[in-house]
Amino acid sequence: MEESVLLAGKAIGAGLAMIGALGGGIGIGLSVGGAVQAMGRNPDFASTIQTNMILGVAFAEAVAIYALVVSLIILFVLA
Amino acid sequence: MINWNGKRRWIALILLIAGIVVMLTVPPIIPVIQLPGEVYPGGGNLPMTNTLMASIVVWILLGLLLIYVRGAMPKSGDEVPRGGFYNIFEMLFEGLYGFIHNIVGEKHMRYIFSFFMTIFLIVLLSNWLELIPGIDSIGFLEPHAEVDEATGEVVTEGGYETMTVLFGAQALNPKCPWVSPEEAASLTVEAQAARIVNNCKTGTGAPVAETAREEEPAAVATEASTEAAATETTATEEAGVEVAAADTSDEETSGEAVVEESGAEAGEEALHHVPPGDASVPWVVLPFLRAPSTDLNMTAALALIAVVMTQVLGFRELGIGYLTKFFNFKTLFSSPLGGIDVAVGLLELIGEFAKILSFSFRLLGNIFAGSILLFVMSFLVPFLPWPFFILEFGVGALQAFVFGLLTAIFMSQATAGHGEHHEEQEDEHANTAEYPVEVDTAEGLNPAEAH
Repeated sequence: MEESVLLAGKAIGAGLAMIGALGGGIGIGLSVGGAVQAMGRNPDFASTIQTNMILGVAFAEAVAIYALVVSLIILFVLA
Repeated sequence: MINWNGKRRWIALILLIAGIVVMLTVPPIIPVIQLPGEVYPGGGNLPMTNTLMASIVVWILLGLLLIYVRGAMPKSGDEVPRGGFYNIFEMLFEGLYGFIHNIVGEKHMRYIFSFFMTIFLIVLLSNWLELIPGIDSIGFLEPHAEVDEATGEVVTEGGYETMTVLFGAQALNPKCPWVSPEEAASLTVEAQAARIVNNCKTGTGAPVAETAREEEPAAVATEASTEAAATETTATEEAGVEVAAADTSDEETSGEAVVEESGAEAGEEALHHVPPGDASVPWVVLPFLRAPSTDLNMTAALALIAVVMTQVLGFRELGIGYLTKFFNFKTLFSSPLGGIDVAVGLLELIGEFAKILSFSFRLLGNIFAGSILLFVMSFLVPFLPWPFFILEFGVGALQAFVFGLLTAIFMSQATAGHGEHHEEQEDEHANTAEYPVEVDTAEGLNPAEAH
Protein backbone atom coordinates (compact mmCIF):
# COMPACT_ATOMS: atom_id res chain seq x y z
CA MET A 1 0.00 0.00 0.00
CA GLU A 2 2.77 2.40 0.95
CA GLU A 3 4.71 1.54 -2.17
CA SER A 4 1.86 2.21 -4.52
CA VAL A 5 1.23 5.60 -2.91
CA LEU A 6 4.93 6.35 -3.29
CA LEU A 7 4.89 5.27 -6.92
CA ALA A 8 1.81 7.35 -7.60
CA GLY A 9 3.45 10.37 -5.97
CA LYS A 10 6.60 9.91 -8.00
CA ALA A 11 4.67 9.62 -11.23
CA ILE A 12 2.58 12.72 -10.56
CA GLY A 13 5.63 14.70 -9.51
CA ALA A 14 7.61 13.71 -12.58
CA GLY A 15 4.73 14.58 -14.84
CA LEU A 16 4.20 17.97 -13.24
CA ALA A 17 7.89 18.75 -13.37
CA MET A 18 7.91 18.41 -17.13
CA ILE A 19 5.52 21.33 -17.54
CA GLY A 20 8.65 23.47 -17.50
CA ALA A 21 9.61 22.15 -20.90
CA LEU A 22 6.89 24.38 -22.28
CA GLY A 23 9.15 27.38 -21.80
CA GLY A 24 11.88 25.68 -23.77
CA GLY A 25 9.60 25.04 -26.67
CA ILE A 26 8.38 28.63 -26.78
CA GLY A 27 11.91 29.99 -26.49
CA ILE A 28 13.27 27.83 -29.27
CA GLY A 29 10.35 28.73 -31.49
CA LEU A 30 10.89 32.45 -30.94
CA SER A 31 14.61 32.29 -31.54
CA VAL A 32 14.30 30.25 -34.72
CA GLY A 33 11.54 32.57 -35.91
CA GLY A 34 13.77 35.57 -35.44
CA ALA A 35 16.65 33.81 -37.15
CA VAL A 36 14.59 32.83 -40.16
CA GLN A 37 13.29 36.38 -40.50
CA ALA A 38 16.84 37.70 -40.35
CA MET A 39 17.93 35.20 -42.97
CA GLY A 40 15.12 36.37 -45.18
CA ARG A 41 16.26 39.96 -44.92
CA ASN A 42 19.95 39.25 -45.26
CA PRO A 43 20.54 36.09 -47.29
CA ASP A 44 24.27 36.70 -47.68
CA PHE A 45 24.91 36.14 -44.01
CA ALA A 46 22.69 33.10 -43.64
CA SER A 47 25.47 30.91 -42.28
CA THR A 48 26.48 33.36 -39.56
CA ILE A 49 22.87 33.72 -38.55
CA GLN A 50 22.43 29.96 -38.58
CA THR A 51 25.43 29.44 -36.34
CA ASN A 52 24.13 31.92 -33.82
CA MET A 53 20.69 30.39 -34.03
CA ILE A 54 22.04 26.94 -33.18
CA LEU A 55 23.80 28.46 -30.21
CA GLY A 56 20.64 30.17 -29.01
CA VAL A 57 18.66 26.97 -29.43
CA ALA A 58 21.17 25.11 -27.25
CA PHE A 59 20.73 27.68 -24.48
CA ALA A 60 16.94 27.62 -24.62
CA GLU A 61 16.99 23.85 -24.66
CA ALA A 62 19.16 23.81 -21.56
CA VAL A 63 16.38 25.35 -19.50
CA ALA A 64 13.96 22.70 -20.68
CA ILE A 65 16.59 20.10 -19.81
CA TYR A 66 16.73 21.46 -16.25
CA ALA A 67 13.05 20.58 -15.91
CA LEU A 68 13.81 17.13 -17.30
CA VAL A 69 16.61 16.63 -14.79
CA VAL A 70 14.28 17.48 -11.91
CA SER A 71 11.79 14.98 -13.28
CA LEU A 72 14.46 12.29 -13.59
CA ILE A 73 15.64 12.96 -10.04
CA ILE A 74 12.10 12.55 -8.78
CA LEU A 75 11.72 9.26 -10.64
CA PHE A 76 15.05 7.60 -10.08
CA VAL A 77 16.75 9.09 -7.08
CA LEU A 78 14.06 9.68 -4.47
CA ALA A 79 13.37 6.51 -2.56
CA MET B 1 20.07 11.49 -51.43
CA ILE B 2 20.34 7.80 -50.62
CA ASN B 3 20.92 5.40 -53.48
CA TRP B 4 18.27 2.70 -53.32
CA ASN B 5 18.95 0.98 -56.63
CA GLY B 6 19.55 -2.60 -57.53
CA LYS B 7 20.84 -5.00 -54.97
CA ARG B 8 20.69 -2.41 -52.20
CA ARG B 9 16.93 -2.59 -52.06
CA TRP B 10 17.07 -6.30 -51.42
CA ILE B 11 19.74 -5.94 -48.78
CA ALA B 12 17.70 -3.31 -46.98
CA LEU B 13 14.57 -5.44 -47.14
CA ILE B 14 16.40 -8.52 -45.88
CA LEU B 15 17.86 -6.56 -42.99
CA LEU B 16 14.46 -5.16 -42.07
CA ILE B 17 12.83 -8.58 -42.11
CA ALA B 18 15.71 -10.08 -40.15
CA GLY B 19 15.30 -7.35 -37.60
CA ILE B 20 11.62 -8.06 -37.17
CA VAL B 21 12.21 -11.82 -36.95
CA VAL B 22 14.91 -11.43 -34.30
CA MET B 23 12.70 -9.01 -32.40
CA LEU B 24 9.96 -11.61 -32.20
CA THR B 25 12.20 -14.47 -31.13
CA VAL B 26 14.38 -12.58 -28.67
CA PRO B 27 12.37 -9.66 -27.32
CA PRO B 28 14.35 -6.75 -25.88
CA ILE B 29 14.86 -6.07 -22.22
CA ILE B 30 14.71 -2.64 -20.66
CA PRO B 31 17.61 -2.15 -18.26
CA VAL B 32 17.58 -0.77 -14.76
CA ILE B 33 18.05 2.98 -14.93
CA GLN B 34 19.67 4.85 -12.10
CA LEU B 35 21.23 8.27 -11.97
CA PRO B 36 24.43 7.63 -9.99
CA GLY B 37 27.09 5.50 -11.59
CA GLU B 38 26.85 1.85 -10.67
CA VAL B 39 29.60 0.53 -8.43
CA TYR B 40 31.32 -2.65 -9.53
CA PRO B 41 30.50 -5.55 -7.23
CA GLY B 42 33.25 -6.87 -5.08
CA GLY B 43 34.98 -3.51 -4.86
CA GLY B 44 35.32 -3.46 -1.13
CA ASN B 45 37.31 -0.54 0.20
CA LEU B 46 38.09 1.01 -3.17
CA PRO B 47 34.80 1.22 -5.05
CA MET B 48 34.99 1.91 -8.74
CA THR B 49 32.00 2.98 -10.79
CA ASN B 50 31.43 2.05 -14.37
CA THR B 51 31.35 5.69 -15.40
CA LEU B 52 34.78 6.26 -13.90
CA MET B 53 36.08 3.27 -15.81
CA ALA B 54 34.57 4.68 -18.98
CA SER B 55 36.31 7.99 -18.26
CA ILE B 56 39.58 6.10 -18.17
CA VAL B 57 38.70 4.62 -21.55
CA VAL B 58 38.07 8.14 -22.85
CA TRP B 59 41.49 9.26 -21.60
CA ILE B 60 43.16 6.32 -23.29
CA LEU B 61 41.35 7.08 -26.54
CA LEU B 62 42.38 10.73 -26.36
CA GLY B 63 45.95 9.70 -25.71
CA LEU B 64 45.90 7.49 -28.78
CA LEU B 65 44.42 10.33 -30.80
CA LEU B 66 47.17 12.62 -29.60
CA ILE B 67 49.89 10.18 -30.55
CA TYR B 68 48.35 9.60 -33.96
CA VAL B 69 47.93 13.27 -34.78
CA ARG B 70 51.45 14.10 -33.67
CA GLY B 71 52.82 11.33 -35.80
CA ALA B 72 50.74 12.16 -38.84
CA MET B 73 51.40 15.87 -38.80
CA PRO B 74 53.35 16.97 -41.88
CA LYS B 75 56.83 18.32 -41.24
CA SER B 76 57.48 21.97 -41.92
CA GLY B 77 57.76 22.76 -45.60
CA ASP B 78 55.86 19.66 -46.60
CA GLU B 79 52.50 20.83 -47.86
CA VAL B 80 51.25 17.59 -49.38
CA PRO B 81 47.59 17.24 -48.42
CA ARG B 82 46.98 14.11 -46.43
CA GLY B 83 43.93 11.93 -46.64
CA GLY B 84 42.14 9.96 -44.04
CA PHE B 85 41.37 10.68 -40.47
CA TYR B 86 44.12 13.26 -40.07
CA ASN B 87 42.50 15.35 -42.75
CA ILE B 88 39.19 15.37 -40.95
CA PHE B 89 40.83 16.26 -37.70
CA GLU B 90 42.73 19.11 -39.25
CA MET B 91 39.58 20.42 -40.90
CA LEU B 92 37.74 20.35 -37.59
CA PHE B 93 40.66 21.98 -35.80
CA GLU B 94 41.03 24.82 -38.26
CA GLY B 95 37.31 25.46 -38.36
CA LEU B 96 37.10 25.69 -34.59
CA TYR B 97 40.24 27.78 -34.42
CA GLY B 98 38.77 30.34 -36.81
CA PHE B 99 35.50 30.37 -34.96
CA ILE B 100 37.07 30.92 -31.55
CA HIS B 101 39.40 33.49 -33.00
CA ASN B 102 36.38 35.53 -34.05
CA ILE B 103 35.06 35.49 -30.53
CA VAL B 104 38.14 35.84 -28.43
CA GLY B 105 40.70 37.93 -30.24
CA GLU B 106 44.37 37.25 -30.62
CA LYS B 107 45.73 38.04 -27.21
CA HIS B 108 44.34 35.23 -25.07
CA MET B 109 43.90 32.75 -27.88
CA ARG B 110 46.47 30.32 -26.56
CA TYR B 111 45.01 29.96 -23.08
CA ILE B 112 41.39 29.97 -24.11
CA PHE B 113 41.70 27.76 -27.16
CA SER B 114 43.60 25.11 -25.21
CA PHE B 115 40.74 24.87 -22.75
CA PHE B 116 38.14 24.99 -25.48
CA MET B 117 39.67 22.18 -27.52
CA THR B 118 40.41 19.97 -24.54
CA ILE B 119 36.95 20.31 -23.08
CA PHE B 120 35.43 19.82 -26.52
CA LEU B 121 37.32 16.59 -27.20
CA ILE B 122 36.73 15.12 -23.74
CA VAL B 123 33.03 15.88 -23.77
CA LEU B 124 32.65 14.72 -27.38
CA LEU B 125 34.18 11.31 -26.68
CA SER B 126 32.28 10.96 -23.40
CA ASN B 127 29.00 11.71 -25.18
CA TRP B 128 29.59 9.48 -28.16
CA LEU B 129 30.64 6.53 -26.05
CA GLU B 130 27.03 5.65 -25.30
CA LEU B 131 26.35 4.95 -28.98
CA ILE B 132 28.81 2.07 -29.24
CA PRO B 133 27.05 -1.30 -29.16
CA GLY B 134 27.81 -3.17 -26.02
CA ILE B 135 28.48 -0.18 -23.82
CA ASP B 136 25.28 -0.11 -21.76
CA SER B 137 24.26 -3.69 -22.41
CA ILE B 138 27.13 -6.03 -21.55
CA GLY B 139 28.08 -6.34 -17.95
CA PHE B 140 27.84 -8.24 -14.71
CA LEU B 141 24.75 -10.23 -13.88
CA GLU B 142 23.58 -9.06 -10.50
CA PRO B 143 20.68 -10.26 -8.38
CA HIS B 144 18.24 -7.41 -8.09
CA ALA B 145 17.42 -7.85 -4.45
CA GLU B 146 18.32 -6.20 -1.19
CA VAL B 147 18.47 -7.38 2.35
CA ASP B 148 16.03 -5.33 4.38
CA GLU B 149 18.03 -4.13 7.35
CA ALA B 150 15.20 -4.09 9.83
CA THR B 151 13.86 -7.58 9.31
CA GLY B 152 16.76 -9.32 7.61
CA GLU B 153 14.53 -10.47 4.79
CA VAL B 154 15.51 -10.44 1.20
CA VAL B 155 13.43 -7.88 -0.71
CA THR B 156 13.31 -8.47 -4.44
CA GLU B 157 12.52 -6.03 -7.19
CA GLY B 158 11.87 -6.54 -10.88
CA GLY B 159 14.20 -8.55 -13.05
CA TYR B 160 14.58 -11.49 -15.37
CA GLU B 161 15.70 -15.05 -15.19
CA THR B 162 18.95 -16.16 -16.66
CA MET B 163 19.70 -18.63 -19.39
CA THR B 164 22.82 -20.02 -20.92
CA VAL B 165 23.65 -18.95 -24.42
CA LEU B 166 26.54 -20.06 -26.59
CA PHE B 167 29.88 -21.00 -25.08
CA GLY B 168 28.56 -21.11 -21.55
CA ALA B 169 27.95 -17.40 -21.21
CA GLN B 170 24.99 -16.37 -19.11
CA ALA B 171 22.37 -13.99 -20.35
CA LEU B 172 19.01 -12.66 -19.24
CA ASN B 173 16.11 -14.60 -20.64
CA PRO B 174 13.84 -12.05 -22.26
CA LYS B 175 10.82 -14.30 -22.34
CA CYS B 176 10.85 -15.00 -18.64
CA PRO B 177 10.41 -11.98 -16.41
CA TRP B 178 10.96 -13.11 -12.88
CA VAL B 179 7.84 -13.65 -10.82
CA SER B 180 7.97 -13.79 -7.08
CA PRO B 181 6.33 -16.72 -5.31
CA GLU B 182 3.38 -14.53 -4.31
CA GLU B 183 2.72 -13.53 -7.88
CA ALA B 184 3.28 -17.06 -9.15
CA ALA B 185 0.41 -18.25 -7.03
CA SER B 186 -1.94 -15.88 -8.81
CA LEU B 187 -1.04 -16.83 -12.38
CA THR B 188 -3.69 -18.50 -14.47
CA VAL B 189 -3.18 -21.96 -15.91
CA GLU B 190 -2.71 -20.60 -19.42
CA ALA B 191 -0.06 -18.18 -18.21
CA GLN B 192 1.72 -20.99 -16.42
CA ALA B 193 1.58 -23.14 -19.52
CA ALA B 194 3.04 -20.29 -21.59
CA ARG B 195 5.89 -19.96 -19.14
CA ILE B 196 6.56 -23.68 -19.23
CA VAL B 197 6.77 -23.49 -23.02
CA ASN B 198 9.39 -20.77 -22.73
CA ASN B 199 11.47 -22.85 -20.33
CA CYS B 200 10.97 -20.48 -17.45
CA LYS B 201 11.80 -21.64 -13.98
CA THR B 202 9.51 -19.37 -11.99
CA GLY B 203 5.83 -18.83 -12.57
CA THR B 204 5.16 -22.45 -13.44
CA GLY B 205 3.18 -24.63 -11.12
CA ALA B 206 6.30 -26.33 -9.81
CA PRO B 207 8.15 -24.97 -6.79
CA VAL B 208 11.43 -23.19 -7.47
CA ALA B 209 14.47 -24.97 -6.15
CA GLU B 210 17.47 -22.97 -5.05
CA THR B 211 20.64 -24.19 -6.66
CA ALA B 212 23.24 -25.33 -4.23
CA ARG B 213 25.42 -22.53 -2.97
CA GLU B 214 28.99 -23.65 -3.11
CA GLU B 215 31.11 -23.27 -0.04
CA GLU B 216 34.52 -23.53 -1.69
CA PRO B 217 36.74 -20.43 -1.71
CA ALA B 218 36.60 -19.87 -5.43
CA ALA B 219 33.06 -19.79 -6.69
CA VAL B 220 33.22 -18.58 -10.21
CA ALA B 221 30.42 -16.34 -11.37
CA THR B 222 30.45 -15.71 -15.05
CA GLU B 223 29.07 -12.49 -16.27
CA ALA B 224 27.57 -11.62 -19.58
CA SER B 225 24.27 -10.26 -20.73
CA THR B 226 22.24 -9.43 -23.73
CA GLU B 227 19.83 -6.69 -24.44
CA ALA B 228 18.03 -5.58 -27.52
CA ALA B 229 17.13 -7.89 -30.26
CA ALA B 230 17.70 -6.43 -33.68
CA THR B 231 20.71 -7.04 -35.80
CA GLU B 232 23.48 -4.61 -36.34
CA THR B 233 23.66 -2.78 -39.63
CA THR B 234 26.16 -3.96 -42.11
CA ALA B 235 25.55 -1.40 -44.82
CA THR B 236 28.37 -0.03 -46.94
CA GLU B 237 29.37 3.61 -46.87
CA GLU B 238 27.16 4.53 -49.78
CA ALA B 239 24.12 2.41 -49.27
CA GLY B 240 21.31 3.66 -47.15
CA VAL B 241 21.44 2.52 -43.60
CA GLU B 242 18.40 0.43 -42.92
CA VAL B 243 17.25 -1.26 -39.79
CA ALA B 244 18.48 -1.71 -36.39
CA ALA B 245 21.57 -0.19 -35.00
CA ALA B 246 20.86 -1.93 -31.74
CA ASP B 247 23.38 -3.53 -29.48
CA THR B 248 25.14 -6.77 -30.16
CA SER B 249 24.68 -9.66 -27.85
CA ASP B 250 26.15 -12.93 -26.80
CA GLU B 251 29.70 -12.00 -26.14
CA GLU B 252 31.67 -14.18 -23.89
CA THR B 253 33.28 -12.26 -21.11
CA SER B 254 35.84 -13.37 -18.65
CA GLY B 255 34.80 -15.03 -15.48
CA GLU B 256 35.23 -13.39 -12.16
CA ALA B 257 36.35 -15.28 -9.13
CA VAL B 258 34.34 -14.50 -6.09
CA VAL B 259 35.89 -15.43 -2.85
CA GLU B 260 33.34 -16.55 -0.40
CA GLU B 261 33.83 -15.85 3.25
CA SER B 262 33.72 -18.88 5.38
CA GLY B 263 30.74 -19.12 7.62
CA ALA B 264 28.65 -16.51 5.82
CA GLU B 265 25.28 -18.04 5.26
CA ALA B 266 22.22 -15.86 5.13
CA GLY B 267 22.28 -12.14 4.41
CA GLU B 268 24.16 -9.82 2.18
CA GLU B 269 27.18 -11.94 1.43
CA ALA B 270 25.12 -14.90 0.37
CA LEU B 271 23.17 -12.67 -1.95
CA HIS B 272 26.33 -11.71 -3.80
CA HIS B 273 27.49 -15.25 -4.19
CA VAL B 274 24.36 -16.62 -5.79
CA PRO B 275 25.38 -18.44 -8.96
CA PRO B 276 23.76 -17.03 -12.09
CA GLY B 277 21.65 -20.02 -12.90
CA ASP B 278 19.63 -19.57 -9.73
CA ALA B 279 15.98 -18.77 -10.17
CA SER B 280 15.20 -17.73 -6.62
CA VAL B 281 16.22 -14.12 -7.23
CA PRO B 282 15.60 -11.82 -10.19
CA TRP B 283 18.62 -10.82 -12.26
CA VAL B 284 19.59 -7.56 -13.89
CA VAL B 285 22.62 -6.37 -15.79
CA LEU B 286 25.18 -4.01 -14.29
CA PRO B 287 26.97 -2.63 -17.36
CA PHE B 288 30.75 -2.73 -17.57
CA LEU B 289 30.90 0.74 -19.03
CA ARG B 290 28.51 3.67 -19.14
CA ALA B 291 28.92 7.02 -20.87
CA PRO B 292 30.80 9.27 -18.43
CA SER B 293 28.61 12.28 -19.17
CA THR B 294 25.68 10.49 -17.61
CA ASP B 295 27.34 10.82 -14.23
CA LEU B 296 26.89 14.10 -12.39
CA ASN B 297 30.37 13.73 -10.90
CA MET B 298 32.03 14.04 -14.28
CA THR B 299 29.97 16.95 -15.56
CA ALA B 300 30.26 18.85 -12.28
CA ALA B 301 34.02 18.31 -12.28
CA LEU B 302 34.35 19.74 -15.77
CA ALA B 303 32.07 22.65 -14.89
CA LEU B 304 34.17 23.45 -11.81
CA ILE B 305 37.36 23.33 -13.84
CA ALA B 306 35.92 25.62 -16.48
CA VAL B 307 34.61 28.24 -14.04
CA VAL B 308 37.65 28.20 -11.76
CA MET B 309 40.06 28.56 -14.65
CA THR B 310 37.96 31.48 -15.89
CA GLN B 311 38.53 33.22 -12.58
CA VAL B 312 42.24 32.37 -12.77
CA LEU B 313 42.44 34.02 -16.17
CA GLY B 314 40.64 37.07 -14.84
CA PHE B 315 43.05 37.42 -11.94
CA ARG B 316 46.04 36.83 -14.15
CA GLU B 317 44.90 39.48 -16.57
CA LEU B 318 43.53 42.21 -14.33
CA GLY B 319 45.21 41.46 -11.05
CA ILE B 320 43.22 42.19 -7.96
CA GLY B 321 41.18 44.64 -10.00
CA TYR B 322 39.24 41.63 -11.26
CA LEU B 323 37.30 41.73 -8.02
CA THR B 324 35.82 45.11 -8.91
CA LYS B 325 33.63 43.20 -11.32
CA PHE B 326 31.83 41.71 -8.38
CA PHE B 327 32.30 44.28 -5.64
CA ASN B 328 31.81 47.52 -7.48
CA PHE B 329 31.86 50.39 -5.02
CA LYS B 330 33.31 53.00 -7.36
CA THR B 331 30.09 54.79 -8.17
CA LEU B 332 28.44 54.23 -4.81
CA PHE B 333 29.03 57.75 -3.54
CA SER B 334 29.73 59.62 -6.74
CA SER B 335 26.52 59.10 -8.64
CA PRO B 336 22.92 59.01 -7.34
CA LEU B 337 22.27 55.57 -8.78
CA GLY B 338 25.54 54.07 -7.57
CA GLY B 339 23.82 51.47 -5.46
CA ILE B 340 22.70 49.70 -8.59
CA ASP B 341 26.25 48.89 -9.57
CA VAL B 342 26.78 47.21 -6.22
CA ALA B 343 23.69 45.07 -6.72
CA VAL B 344 24.72 44.18 -10.25
CA GLY B 345 28.12 43.13 -9.03
CA LEU B 346 26.66 40.87 -6.38
CA LEU B 347 24.34 39.34 -8.93
CA GLU B 348 27.33 38.61 -11.12
CA LEU B 349 28.91 36.79 -8.20
CA ILE B 350 25.82 34.65 -7.79
CA GLY B 351 25.84 34.18 -11.54
CA GLU B 352 29.27 32.57 -11.35
CA PHE B 353 27.92 29.87 -9.09
CA ALA B 354 24.87 29.53 -11.27
CA LYS B 355 27.22 28.91 -14.18
CA ILE B 356 28.66 25.86 -12.45
CA LEU B 357 25.18 24.42 -11.96
CA SER B 358 24.10 25.34 -15.45
CA PHE B 359 27.12 23.77 -17.15
CA SER B 360 26.87 20.53 -15.24
CA PHE B 361 23.12 20.07 -15.54
CA ARG B 362 22.95 21.01 -19.19
CA LEU B 363 25.40 18.30 -20.15
CA LEU B 364 24.06 15.75 -17.67
CA GLY B 365 20.44 16.30 -18.65
CA ASN B 366 21.08 16.07 -22.36
CA ILE B 367 23.17 12.92 -22.28
CA PHE B 368 21.40 11.06 -19.46
CA ALA B 369 17.98 11.72 -20.95
CA GLY B 370 19.41 10.71 -24.30
CA SER B 371 20.61 7.39 -22.94
CA ILE B 372 17.19 6.74 -21.41
CA LEU B 373 15.66 7.61 -24.76
CA LEU B 374 17.90 5.06 -26.48
CA PHE B 375 16.97 2.39 -23.93
CA VAL B 376 13.26 3.02 -24.29
CA MET B 377 13.33 3.24 -28.07
CA SER B 378 15.37 0.06 -28.39
CA PHE B 379 12.80 -1.58 -26.17
CA LEU B 380 9.72 -0.30 -27.98
CA VAL B 381 10.84 -0.52 -31.61
CA PRO B 382 13.85 -2.83 -31.68
CA PHE B 383 14.07 -2.97 -35.44
CA LEU B 384 14.01 0.78 -35.90
CA PRO B 385 15.95 2.67 -33.26
CA TRP B 386 18.46 4.24 -35.64
CA PRO B 387 16.80 7.69 -35.94
CA PHE B 388 17.30 8.12 -32.21
CA PHE B 389 20.90 7.03 -32.43
CA ILE B 390 21.45 9.66 -35.10
CA LEU B 391 19.74 12.22 -32.86
CA GLU B 392 22.05 11.31 -30.00
CA PHE B 393 25.00 11.63 -32.32
CA GLY B 394 23.99 15.21 -33.11
CA VAL B 395 23.06 16.10 -29.56
CA GLY B 396 26.36 14.79 -28.22
CA ALA B 397 28.40 16.81 -30.68
CA LEU B 398 26.32 19.95 -30.13
CA GLN B 399 26.52 19.76 -26.35
CA ALA B 400 30.28 19.27 -26.47
CA PHE B 401 30.57 22.32 -28.69
CA VAL B 402 28.26 24.40 -26.51
CA PHE B 403 30.20 23.50 -23.34
CA GLY B 404 33.48 24.53 -24.89
CA LEU B 405 32.05 27.63 -26.54
CA LEU B 406 30.47 28.91 -23.34
CA THR B 407 33.74 28.36 -21.51
CA ALA B 408 35.56 30.36 -24.18
CA ILE B 409 33.00 33.16 -24.07
CA PHE B 410 33.09 33.44 -20.30
CA MET B 411 36.86 33.43 -20.33
CA SER B 412 36.97 36.22 -22.88
CA GLN B 413 34.45 38.19 -20.82
CA ALA B 414 36.64 37.73 -17.77
CA THR B 415 39.55 39.39 -19.52
CA ALA B 416 37.46 42.31 -20.66
CA GLY B 417 37.05 43.75 -17.21
CA HIS B 418 34.14 45.80 -16.06
CA GLY B 419 32.66 48.36 -18.41
CA GLU B 420 34.59 47.66 -21.57
CA HIS B 421 32.57 46.75 -24.61
CA HIS B 422 33.06 43.63 -26.65
CA GLU B 423 33.36 45.56 -29.91
CA GLU B 424 36.83 46.74 -28.97
CA GLN B 425 38.15 43.21 -29.14
CA GLU B 426 36.55 42.66 -32.50
CA ASP B 427 38.31 45.69 -33.94
CA GLU B 428 41.63 44.41 -32.66
CA HIS B 429 41.54 41.03 -34.21
CA ALA B 430 39.98 42.05 -37.52
CA ASN B 431 43.39 43.26 -38.56
CA THR B 432 45.46 40.41 -37.18
CA ALA B 433 43.39 37.35 -38.03
CA GLU B 434 45.41 34.55 -39.58
CA TYR B 435 42.58 32.60 -41.09
CA PRO B 436 39.94 33.98 -43.36
CA VAL B 437 37.11 35.12 -41.16
CA GLU B 438 33.73 36.42 -42.07
CA VAL B 439 33.40 40.16 -41.95
CA ASP B 440 31.27 41.36 -39.07
CA THR B 441 28.30 43.08 -40.48
CA ALA B 442 27.42 45.38 -37.63
CA GLU B 443 30.48 47.56 -38.00
CA GLY B 444 30.43 49.04 -41.42
CA LEU B 445 27.50 47.85 -43.45
CA ASN B 446 24.68 50.19 -44.13
CA PRO B 447 21.37 48.34 -43.81
CA ALA B 448 20.25 49.70 -47.14
CA GLU B 449 23.19 48.06 -48.84
CA ALA B 450 22.67 44.69 -47.20
CA HIS B 451 20.84 43.20 -50.14
